[in-house]
Amino acid sequence: MVSGAIVLAFLPLVLTFIIRYRYYFVLFYRAVLVRIWYDCKTGLSREERAFQYVLTHATPGDPESILETFDLWCSTVEFISNIGPKKGKIMDRILSEHCPLNVLELGSHCGYSTVRIARALPLGARLYSVEMDARNAAIAEKVIRLAGFDDDMVELIVSPSDEVIPKLRSEYGLERLDLVFMDHWKKCYRNDLQALEGSGLLGKGSVVLADNVLFPGAPNFLKHVRKSGLYEWKIHRATLEYSKGIRDGMAELVYQGIK
Amino acid sequence: ERGRGKRERKRGRKRGRGKRERKRGRKRGRGKRERKRGRKRGRGKRERKRGKCCRLPSPSPCCFSSEQESPDEQEENELEKLKEAVDDRKKLISTLRGKPLPMTRKLQTLRESQEFVEKYEGAIGKGKGRKLYAYKVMMLKKWMKFQRDFENFKTACIPWEMKIKEIESHFGSSVASYFLFLRWMYGINMILFGLTFGLVMVPEALMGMPYGSMPRKTVPRAEEANAMDFAVLWDFGGYAQYSVLFYGYYNSQRTIGWLKFRMPLSYFLVGVGTVAYSYMVVIRTMARNANEDGGGDNNCFNFSWKMFTSWDYLIGNPETADNKFASITTSFKEAILEEQESRKDDNIHLTRFLRVLANFLVLCCLAGSGYLIYFVVRRSQKFALEGLESHTWWERNEVNMVMSLLGMFCPMLFDVISTLENYHPRIALQWQLGRIFALFLGNLYTFIIALMDEINLKREEEEMVKLNMTIWEAGLYNETVGVNSTTPPIAIHPADIPRGPCWETMVGQEFVRLIVSDTMTTYIMLLIGDFLRAVLVRFLNYCWCWDLEAGFPSYSEFDVSGNVLGLIFNQGMIWMGAFYAPCLPALNVLRLHVSMYLQCWAVMCCNVPQERVFKASGSNNFYMAMLLVILFLSTLPAIYTIVSIPPSFDCGPFSGKSRMFDVIQETLESDFPAWFGKVFSYASNPGLVLPFLLLMVLAIYYLQSTSKSYKQANLELKKKLQTVSHDNHVSAIILCAIPALT
Repeated sequence: MVSGAIVLAFLPLVLTFIIRYRYYFVLFYRAVLVRIWYDCKTGLSREERAFQYVLTHATPGDPESILETFDLWCSTVEFISNIGPKKGKIMDRILSEHCPLNVLELGSHCGYSTVRIARALPLGARLYSVEMDARNAAIAEKVIRLAGFDDDMVELIVSPSDEVIPKLRSEYGLERLDLVFMDHWKKCYRNDLQALEGSGLLGKGSVVLADNVLFPGAPNFLKHVRKSGLYEWKIHRATLEYSKGIRDGMAELVYQGIK
Repeated sequence: ERGRGKRERKRGRKRGRGKRERKRGRKRGRGKRERKRGRKRGRGKRERKRGKCCRLPSPSPCCFSSEQESPDEQEENELEKLKEAVDDRKKLISTLRGKPLPMTRKLQTLRESQEFVEKYEGAIGKGKGRKLYAYKVMMLKKWMKFQRDFENFKTACIPWEMKIKEIESHFGSSVASYFLFLRWMYGINMILFGLTFGLVMVPEALMGMPYGSMPRKTVPRAEEANAMDFAVLWDFGGYAQYSVLFYGYYNSQRTIGWLKFRMPLSYFLVGVGTVAYSYMVVIRTMARNANEDGGGDNNCFNFSWKMFTSWDYLIGNPETADNKFASITTSFKEAILEEQESRKDDNIHLTRFLRVLANFLVLCCLAGSGYLIYFVVRRSQKFALEGLESHTWWERNEVNMVMSLLGMFCPMLFDVISTLENYHPRIALQWQLGRIFALFLGNLYTFIIALMDEINLKREEEEMVKLNMTIWEAGLYNETVGVNSTTPPIAIHPADIPRGPCWETMVGQEFVRLIVSDTMTTYIMLLIGDFLRAVLVRFLNYCWCWDLEAGFPSYSEFDVSGNVLGLIFNQGMIWMGAFYAPCLPALNVLRLHVSMYLQCWAVMCCNVPQERVFKASGSNNFYMAMLLVILFLSTLPAIYTIVSIPPSFDCGPFSGKSRMFDVIQETLESDFPAWFGKVFSYASNPGLVLPFLLLMVLAIYYLQSTSKSYKQANLELKKKLQTVSHDNHVSAIILCAIPALT
């Protein structure tokens, strides 16, 4: 019915599409297809596979080596959305600027970012890491202990973030949070931020770091931040972890307090 | 006269100043307060509070202390001083705009000066001439007011001015430049429309033979059944084909109507006139733009230029301002990087290889698209031979669809390939424009070559039809009239008479169909690619896993260069086809009108400002140059067909002539006196034309070399200015340093 020539005329459009969004196709391949393949083949979950690899290839007690092994695995074998080396550097810089004593991390997944933060903390600081999924939390616990951080420095809380935040003051005795790192489900960013504001744990100068605000993106969160006027906000533009062409950003919010 | 007594002195002191007078208004002598008040920039407390800013103190009529002058002389002096004061005020009013004062102060000065001038101007004219002077002044003021109102009216009459200003404030000057270009094109097309409509279509419609009176003006019997169908009309067949819209309808009668309007001559001259007018307008605009260019020196003071001249003061929208801010920052970063990189060139071989590869890919794409069009045109010729009714709509309109689709999709592919090359955005834009230009040109010329094949086919058919017609006529006569009698010929309905093929109408129809399909494709792509996309992004974003606005589809940006090129090429097609289809300028005016509104709406509703905002003002002359090239290239085929192919024998205003330009010869012979024809034949003698051409070439060479020498002189002066300012700077530094050293 429709002649072949007209269909052929659509070829440039298809080619353009494929070339312009090639990184997204590659990401899809690595994050979804390869994962399904390995899930079927080995029967372990992705995080367990990552832990196996780290266990066999990294030096225990050395956070640096653990992070490097993780990076290697994520860039060559499979894809896990840790914070990655580039954005990790930005986070290290922010940490060294602010030297927070009380840090809350929402969503530790495999424990990569926990290790990264804990590595840069000063003596006497304490990191509270919240992870919703029990299996991931188990892996994260193992990774953190492998890196050599004890219970004094890092405490892993296994529970959804919206349940934990109201209890932080009462059960864990926190008065003020110097830094909050958000890397869990993007749709929870805004609710958790509002919960933190309501709980009074953010003081003037508290820093909130939110990862992946551009891809996959947290538009409600950004809208809330812009409108509320409580924060001085900045978006650090970088690329998505372990990927070259997909643009992503990390939002750094400094709480100003109600005027 | 001699001495003045006390009383006289008291009485006659016209100009003497008493205490009260001094207090009232001293012009010359200055007391303490006067000095405080009348200092040029200094102001008293009350004045500062009041905000007065006029520097000229108000002269009072009595401001002279000399008692010895006669009353007349005193009056004269006084008038002169008053006149001076009024002139000063007038000068102040005229130069007020350039003074570095805040706006409120300027407005106040203006008001006070105007009041002063009004109050004392009438008093200046002396004696009898006073009334005339006042009258002159009043008339001058009324004239100036009228001029100002007329200017305002003219500005208000410019169409779409507010729309374009709004777009400019949202999107920056490069997007607005597209709309300015569109408006300019609209103006040109209006003039072309006026010419073709008024001098070709209307005379034939009003004064020519009506529809149905001649074979060429009537729908053939075979096609009559579906001549009114929408599908046929949309393809410009049926009744649309046999109307003033196309070449074939026109009669070759030398004069028509009671005005003795020379239709064929008018047709020919309008065709030539549209081309000539277009050339004139394009070259005049190019010359004007070349003057405005100013020859900015791009090599020196790069960062100073960027720092002080990057901002676009016409922006009125916060998002655009943010984007502009970000883009200026990026351009600074780039400039710094470029400075650093120009010292070291690493991996230039890889860059060169990638660029060669990119060009190779682009050439492949161009070749592929050219071959596809050629293939499709051949197929359509095959279809035409088999008879068009046996094919579906898709197959019949294959050529147009393929050309429009390729024209829409290949530029996107070029854009993506150009990321391999790693050029600066401005250079990348020029390469992109060049490639799109090559694409459109290739497509157009492939189309024309295919059209030439069809023309040749039709001309062969013509020979056969001529033969058949004589046989048919002879047959007709022998049937009805058996004898060689002088009875009048039988009335046969014009719809039944066999007629010759009309290649000119066919050419006109092809162009009209191409333009219609191009327009439709553009609008549909606009609606789908911009509007539908924006709707999806906006409303699906609530329930989608990633941020659609920041990530994959996001809102589209307005593609200035692609749209400008599309506009230029459409105009080229109009120029090509206007001779064979007088309806084309009218169609184009309609198209541009609708485009303006549709694109303005689409831009404001569906597009976001570009992230990399760089000024396209330098490209203004580039677009004009391309327009000129297209004008030249598109008039070539039309001129070739006019000069070398004989017109159809059965249709159009030139039927029966051996060449179309014979109409000029005919007019010279019959309408002008004999001596004119002789003069013309002398003037067109090659012996006269060749030296004239030589003279013109030499004049061009001379003008070119003088302009080059002026440019040189300009550059020298600029360099001198730089060294002088540098010397001043250095000496200033030295002068400042000396006290520090001692």
